[in-house]
Order: sequence, then structure tokens, then C-alpha cells
Amino acid sequence: MQKKSGLIMLAIAMMLVMIMSACGNNNNNASEPSASSEPSASASSSASSSPAATETEGTAGASVDTSKEVKLKMIFVGPKPVDYDAVFAEINKKLKEKINATLEGEFLDWSDWAQKYPLKLAAAEDFDLIYSANWAGYNDQALKGGFLEITDEMIQKYMPQTWANMPKVSWGQAKVNGKLYMIPQNRGESVEKLILYREDLRKKYNLPEINSPESFATYLKTIAANEKGIVPFTPETGDWKYHNLDRVLLKQQNEWNMFDLDMPFAYKLTDEKGQVFNVYETQEFKDLMVYYKDLADNNAWSKNVLNSKNDHQQDFKAGKTASITHNNGTLGALMSQMRLENSPYEVKLADINQGKKKSVAISTQNGTSIHATSKNVERSLMLIELMQNDKELHDLMMYGISGVNYEPVGDDKYKATDKFQNFYGFSNWNFNSPLNRTDEAFPQEASDLVNSWEADVYHYPLETFVFDNSKVKTEIANVGNVMLRYGIPLEYGLVKDIDKGIADLNKQLKSAGLEKIQTELQSQIDAFLAKQ
Amino acid sequence: MKRQTFWNDLKNYKVLLLMLTPAVIFYLLFAYLPMAGIVIAFKRYDYAGGIFGSPWNGFDNFRFFFESGDAFRVTRNTALYNIAFIAVNNALQIFAAILLFEVGGKWFRKIIQSAMFLPYFISWVVVGAIAYNLLNYDIGTVNVLLRGLGLEPIDIYNTPAYWPYLLVLVSAWKGLGYGTVMYLAAITSIDTEMYEAAEIDGANIFQRIMKVTIPNLYPTVIILVLLAVGNIFRGDFGMFYNMIGNNGILFSTTDVIDTFVFRSLITSNDIGMSAAAGVFQSVLGFVTIMLVNYAVRRYDKDRALF
Amino acid sequence: MSATELNVDKSFAKATGVRKMDRKAFSVIGYVSLTILALLCLLPFILVVSSSLTNEDKIIIDGYQFIPADFSTEAYRLLFKYPEQIVRAYIVTICVTAAGTFFGLFLTSMTAYALSRKDFKWRNRFSFFFFFTTLFSGGLVPWYLLIVNYLNMKDTFLALVVPLLFNVFYIIVMKSFLSGIPEAIVESAKIDGAGDFRIYAKLILPLSKPALATIGLFLALAYWNDWYNALLFVSNENLMPLQYYLYKMLGNMEGMRKAMMGAGAVITTAIPTESLKMAMTVVATGPILLAYPFVQRFFVQGLTIGAVKG
Repeated sequence: MQKKSGLIMLAIAMMLVMIMSACGNNNNNASEPSASSEPSASASSSASSSPAATETEGTAGASVDTSKEVKLKMIFVGPKPVDYDAVFAEINKKLKEKINATLEGEFLDWSDWAQKYPLKLAAAEDFDLIYSANWAGYNDQALKGGFLEITDEMIQKYMPQTWANMPKVSWGQAKVNGKLYMIPQNRGESVEKLILYREDLRKKYNLPEINSPESFATYLKTIAANEKGIVPFTPETGDWKYHNLDRVLLKQQNEWNMFDLDMPFAYKLTDEKGQVFNVYETQEFKDLMVYYKDLADNNAWSKNVLNSKNDHQQDFKAGKTASITHNNGTLGALMSQMRLENSPYEVKLADINQGKKKSVAISTQNGTSIHATSKNVERSLMLIELMQNDKELHDLMMYGISGVNYEPVGDDKYKATDKFQNFYGFSNWNFNSPLNRTDEAFPQEASDLVNSWEADVYHYPLETFVFDNSKVKTEIANVGNVMLRYGIPLEYGLVKDIDKGIADLNKQLKSAGLEKIQTELQSQIDAFLAKQ
Repeated sequence: MKRQTFWNDLKNYKVLLLMLTPAVIFYLLFAYLPMAGIVIAFKRYDYAGGIFGSPWNGFDNFRFFFESGDAFRVTRNTALYNIAFIAVNNALQIFAAILLFEVGGKWFRKIIQSAMFLPYFISWVVVGAIAYNLLNYDIGTVNVLLRGLGLEPIDIYNTPAYWPYLLVLVSAWKGLGYGTVMYLAAITSIDTEMYEAAEIDGANIFQRIMKVTIPNLYPTVIILVLLAVGNIFRGDFGMFYNMIGNNGILFSTTDVIDTFVFRSLITSNDIGMSAAAGVFQSVLGFVTIMLVNYAVRRYDKDRALF
Repeated sequence: MSATELNVDKSFAKATGVRKMDRKAFSVIGYVSLTILALLCLLPFILVVSSSLTNEDKIIIDGYQFIPADFSTEAYRLLFKYPEQIVRAYIVTICVTAAGTFFGLFLTSMTAYALSRKDFKWRNRFSFFFFFTTLFSGGLVPWYLLIVNYLNMKDTFLALVVPLLFNVFYIIVMKSFLSGIPEAIVESAKIDGAGDFRIYAKLILPLSKPALATIGLFLALAYWNDWYNALLFVSNENLMPLQYYLYKMLGNMEGMRKAMMGAGAVITTAIPTESLKMAMTVVATGPILLAYPFVQRFFVQGLTIGAVKG
């Protein structure tokens, strides 16, 4: 009997040999990053010896040796644009001239980037730059060692213009455990959510202007009572935990900020001490649940809202729903689209938190990271510098070839041609900068609205605070799960007894380890504020 | 002496072993070699260290699952759903296969068989969308019909009690064609002489099915059930996620390990933690199949998996 | 004597009469249940086809309908916008399916045959060796590293074929089918001096047509429907199989629309997501549905031979 297992033994032995050889290979791979970080280390030391170059305008390459031509490879999220060859040929002509480098793009389709992105890093595939963003797991990938640390000296030496132009807050927000792994976009986007609704319906029922939570509720209830076949409000699918309306009615309305929409913690924007509290335990949250419950009971949204996969924008365009929430860019684009298509509906944007403090997106919304194993760190940084600050290259990268993909309108606008979509739809937003152009067709009122917020944009002490959650990962996983299971039904008014629902939610959160996260968060905040 | 038996066996089985070689190499290379990655479940994974160089962190990656308070519930749900799927799906497939074998002409059988295969081709995403279309409260077909008959509509998506039945139904529906083919092949492999013998004994068609067809299907049924038992702690994520989505109201009866883990890790995306959940499922599955296989072996050695 | 004979005859006639009645009752039950089952399977698919031919706005407002209320071929026009791409994707899928099914069937049946031989003492150990891999797996990352970094199969035809060549489920089902073949056949062949491989190729294969047809069908379906290997290992457009091409197309259209609008770019082309999803199902399933009756004919034929010999 024992002898019969001989073959199995052989198999196991073979397997061990293979595993060991794999180990060997893997170690080789693993040693690569440290080897390649050498040039960057030397670069930073040489940079610190010549800080004079920093404030000067002009090409970054001036003081750097670029005699050897290099090929850079960058990973973008989104599909390969149709006109990739033509546009990148132009880009490379310019790059060759300026920094003696050429750029090749690899594109991770929208359908599967989420699977491929971490694999590219895990397999240490050969590339130099990669689009990175908070929503693409920037912190996590940085902590795992996927990205190269970028020091101030490196920025000053290889990207002086960026160093001069980038708001300091942006650098702070992009740091993970005090280290920078990303050159963020250089453009503050508004994150506040707006409401897009049907002005024609409001007029039809002679309703007051929608400028407060109450007038919005009146609008929704009136539609529900009178317009058969129209759903008053449709949320965005996959919009979890704190949904868009919460961001309007809880965060903005109360002038709170939340670190992370996956945790139920907030602080008051005006609170110098940064005292963190559990949103679910506040009176404000309870009041909002009463408001939602009232709306749900009056059929302001579908009873099966949690399972509906309808695209709220399509629904709105088709006249199936009478209001949606999203950010200004998306809603403005949707408005223009409907107008261009001669939609029979009159639509309007509403800000139901007029005069409340507004905040802008944190800088890690879009950015560029250098691969930990890149062998061309200097040239990669210089490339980012050019893409953000060189008008010609910026235009090429963002909009394609002038006269083909777009027509420039003045310095800051463009007119889309029918070939516009041949170079669009992938993540080039990491190169966003003050040089960006806006679509000529974008509705003026939407731009005006956002511009009018500028006075309300509020900067606060904790703006650059980044929570390091590595000690409480387990608790965060469980808290997130509880929020989904017990929080979401409450938030759509689907729980009959609000008090009991909130009590249940908090009880579950407690056993999921909420307090441990809160203690950790608060101590990190205190330490952060003490340093300032 | 024993050594000699081994070499003799080796010589006797030379050709059979050669015939097994491609499969053995395949599984060593594509399954056993990457299996070393299981260590990720016990490590704090980072890119520089890779699979083997990352630091160990013991059972830390398992904590999120066992400390959630839901571990027992989702594990039980997963097993119960799979048991129900195995029982209902196989029964229905055998039923359909027997009927297909006994009833109808060539064309009827062809058409029916083709039709039964259709659900297999509809992706879970589309199945989820169709289900919503049928079952939703506002304009779902079921409720439109109920209202038309003057009855109260039912709010299916907010009532957890309906879902175990619905999910079992959907699973049976989707797998019907696939499983039926297998049982049909098994039925047609039954020696026709046995049918003739039954006929001569005066058995009617019902008796014949009970006495000849079904007993002859036992080996196939046992094998298929054993194969399914090993994966009894793995939920069909595509199905549960597309049917239930993130509707917390339904989780009490519909949450399985896979959906639970997905939700927990959706933000952190930690591969160590997801590997830990996978190891948990594997170990449970391993223990279960060893016990069940042992039981089957005691009953009939030839029917066991191994 | 004659009276009893008559009696026997009578009871025999009675028995056959009852049997005929039973047969009839059975047929009625059979026809009715099969028709109901088939309709339950058919109707949702009709819904899919109909929705793929319906105007998007109509679907958004009224949901899916069994008859297109507002006929539109927009979804198909969009799918076939680049006909050379989709034709190429079809060709890749057909080649992968053909090669994979052929080699897979050969290897599976060969493996299963060795495992099914009752005189092969180590068969259970090997079965366990294979089965164990369905329980434990190292996860995605090591698997990806193996294929991309060590086997260098990225962007190769092999990456689409090799990972699916073997499947424990198929091997064991096949083994269970082959175990049904009487040992006496193998024994007599052995006495005639045939080697193990020869027995397998010349004797066992022809005798197991139902099993081969079944496993062949499963292999073909697995290859036809596979998009995951393509997702992981193929970025070369010339190697994209149909299912992945469609999956990618839908994802990109959606993603591009959201991305563009999020950046405030006004787009004027609407994407009929709902009808497109349905059209994709039809486009991916269509060829198999057209081919199935032919396969079935072979299948039915195989079955009768198997039944006679078995």
C-alpha cells in the first residue's frame, strides 16, 4: 500500500522543485525594485545639491542629461482611442524634441481594468508610468509598494513648473503615510452633488423654486401624486453607503466632512479640533431618515430602488424620472445633450444648499504614479511636467489633434468635431491643469453655478489629513459590510421603525469594531493637528 | 519484495501511466504549482516581497470573517442553498431526461432539448435584469397581472422569505438543459436488454422506470452529487450578486460566503483577506468531501470518487 | 385446460391493455411537462430577442416586452459597426473552440479511460490527485504570474486553449460513463494481444459515443463562452474571442460615456445599453443555436449506437 504511493511522492517532489525554482524567479523579480530605485535615489541627492533650478520657468530638461533616447510606457485606464496612432505620433514628435523620449500607451478597458490594474503591478510588468486615483486604489497600491516614492527634490529638479504651479494642499492630500507616490492633477474639481430636475413639471404644478430640502420634497411628492408613470427621483445605481442625496442633505447641508464614504465618521468643517463623531448617532441623521421615510412613503422613488439597475441619466433623458443627482460636469453634459437632441423637457439644475460651504475634490481624484520598477524615473517625471504645463502637448494629450479631433475656441474652450470621440474616453485626466479647455457646448448656467460657489469653497485644517487604515483593516471591512446591510435600507426609507433601525445599525456597527476605528482615527487626527 | 511489486506494477501500468501523463503534468503545472499561493492567506502581501517574500501575519487575514458575527449565518446559508440546488436540480434533470427518452418523436425531442438549453446562454447579468423586470413592485409583470386580477401586488424585493424559493427555481431553470444532456446520455447507455426483460416480466412503463432506469442512473447521480459536495461551501457569486445585488433587506436569507466576502472587501480589496476566505471554504469543502466519500466507499467501493 | 389457457390469454390481453393505458397516461404527462419546462426556458429567451430589437427609450419606460413595441435594429448596427472586428472575433472563437474541443476531448477521454480501468490499482490515488485541485486553489495572482511571467503565454493562442483543456468534472463524469462498459470486452481484447492504448482508441472510443458527445458538448460550450482567459491574457486585438470582444465593447461604451460626461464633455450619440446587452446575448448564442441541431443529429445517432452496444 505504501509503495503504491511512490508515484505520488515523485509528483510531490517534482512539485517542490518547481515551487523552489519559482521562488528563485520570484526573488529575482522582487529584487528589481530596489535595483531600479538607485537612479532615483542618486537623482534626488544630486537634486538637493542644485535647488536653484527650481523656480525658473522653461524646459525642465535644461539641467538634466537627456542624451540617451528612452522609450516610456504608460498604463491608462479606458479603451485605446481610435486615433491613438495619429495623436501619439504627434505627441512623440514633440516629446523627442523636448526630452528625447517617446511614449507608448497601454490601455486597460473600462470593462476589466479593475481586475487587470492590480495584476499589472503584482506581476511587475514592464512599464514606467501608470494612471492612479483614489478610486483606483491609490493608497492601497502605494502601501503594497507598487509605486515609486517621489521626493520634493525630485519634483523640484525634474518638474519645476509643476512644483511652482501645484497648490501645496494637493501634495499634502496625495501623501500616504507622509510619503508621496503620485503627481496629482492640477485642477480643483467640484465634488458637490447637484440636483437636475424637470422645470416644465415644476411650472405645471406651480411649485415654488427648488432651493431647499423642503421645496425639493414638495416637488417630489407632487410628481408622485399627479404624474403616473414618472418616478419622481431615481438614485444612481451602485451608489452605496452615503449616496448622492446624503452628500447633499447630510454632508453639505450640515457643513460636515467625511474622510471616506466607507466609514460613518464625520467632523464639522469649522471644528478646529477635528472632533470625529459617528454620523449614525446624530440627530441630523435621524431627521434625515424621517425626511427620507416620508418621501419613500409618498412614493418619491421606486419601492425596489435597491435592486433597480436602471441608469438614472438614461431614465431622466427618456422622461421616466423627474429628478436625479450627480456632479456638475455630468449633469451639465446631460443638459446640453438633451438640448441638442431637442428634448421636449425643460430641465434645470438646483442647488438646495445655497450659501453652504463647499469643498473641492481631493487631489488624488486623478494622478500619475511612477512604477516602482521603472528604469526611467527622471524622464517619466519630465513627461508629466510637460503634459501638465506645455500647452501644445497638453492639448494633444487631452483633446487630440487640433482641426481633426477638436477645433480650438479661444484659449480655454474647444468645439468637438465628429472625430472628437476618436481620442477620448480614457483616463488622461491625470494631466488636468489650468490649461484645460472646456466644451463650448457645456451649458453656461452650469458653469456659472459652480463658479458662484467659489466664494463658498472652504479650506479647513484637516484638508490634507489622510487616514492610514492599515491597523484597522478588519474593522473597516466589517463596518462597511454593516453599513451596506443595515444602513442602506434605512437611507431609502425602507425600514418601518426608524428608531429601531438606527439602534440596530449602531449595535451592529459597535460589534463590528466601530469604536476601534474611531479611536485610531482620532489619535491620528490629534497627532496631525499637533504637528501643524 | 515489495519493491519488486512496485516495479512490476509500474511495468504493467506503463501504458496507462503514459496515458495519464498529460493530465498529471497539466495539474502539477496549472493547479499544484500556483497552489503555493495559498500562503498569501497568512501574509501581509506586498509587491516587493511577492508571494513568498511578504511578511507573515498569522491568522490576521481571517479575523474579518470570524469577527463579523455573520460567519456562521453565511456559511450555513451557503451550504443549505447548495444542498437545495443539488437536490432540486438533479431531480428535475433526471425527470426531464427520462421523459425526453420515453416520449415523443425525433423533432419534438430535438426542439424541447434545444429550448431547455437556452437559459444556459443567458448571462447572470441578463437573468438578473429579466428577474427584476418580472418581479419588481411597480411595473413588474407578476404584479401587473396581480393588479389586473384585482389582487394585492406583492413586494418581492422587500420580502426575504420568497428568495430561497426563487433562487432554487432560477438555479434549476438555468441548469436544466446542461444536466439533462448528461442524464440523457446515461439513460441511453443502459443496456436495452434490461428493458426487454422488464417488458416480458409485465412491468408497465412506470414500473420499468422505477425498476430499471432509475437504479441504472445511481452511479451517475452519485458521481455528480459527490462532485458537487466538494464545492458545497462555495456560493455561485454571479447568481447571488446579480439576483440580490446590494439589497440589505434580503441578506438574512440570501447572503452566502462569496457575496459576504465581496461586500467586506469591496473597498479594501485586500488579496490576503480574500485568500483567507477562500482557504476557509476549501478546508470546509475538503473535510466534507472526505467524510462523504468515506461513507460512499463503505457502502460501495466502486461508486466513490477516489 | 383450454379454459385456463383462455384465461391466461385474457389476462395477458388485459395486462397489455393496462400497459397501453399506462403508456398513454405517461405520454400525456410527458408531453405536458416537457412542453411546460421548454416554454419556461424559451419565453425568457424570446424576451431577450425581442428586447434586442426594441428602441432603447421604449425599454427604459416599459421594461422588456415579448413583442418589440417600437422596432429598432440600433443595437445590432452598433455591434456590427466594425464588421471586420466582429468577424475576426467569431473566427478566433471558432478556432479556439474547435482546437480546444478536439484536444480536450482526446485528453479527457484518455485520462478518464486510464482511471476507469478496474485493474489499475492506483486509479483512486490519481483520481484524488485530480479532484484535490477543485478544492484548493492558489488564487488569481499566482496563476496570472505563472502564465504571464513563467510560461510567457500572454497574447498567444495557447493562453486561450490550454487553461481549459482539462476539467476534473469532465474527467470524472467521463470516467463514470466508461466504468459502465463491461470489463469482459477489455479482457477479451487483451487476450487478443491488444495494448492498452489500442484498446482505448479502437474499442472504447467507438463504444462511448454518448459520453464523448456529452463531454464534447460541454467542452465546446466552455470554450465558446470563455472570456475570462482572454480578459487576463489577451490584449492583441487579433486574438480576441467573441465573448470577450462583446463584453469589452459594452464595458467600454458605458465607461466612455460616464467618463466623458463626468469630465463635462457633451456627447450626442446615445448608447442603447439595455438593448445592446440583449443583442450581445443573441449574437453570442445565435451560431450555437444554429449549429446545435446538427450536433444533436450526431448526438442522437451516437446515442443509438451506444445504446445498442452498451
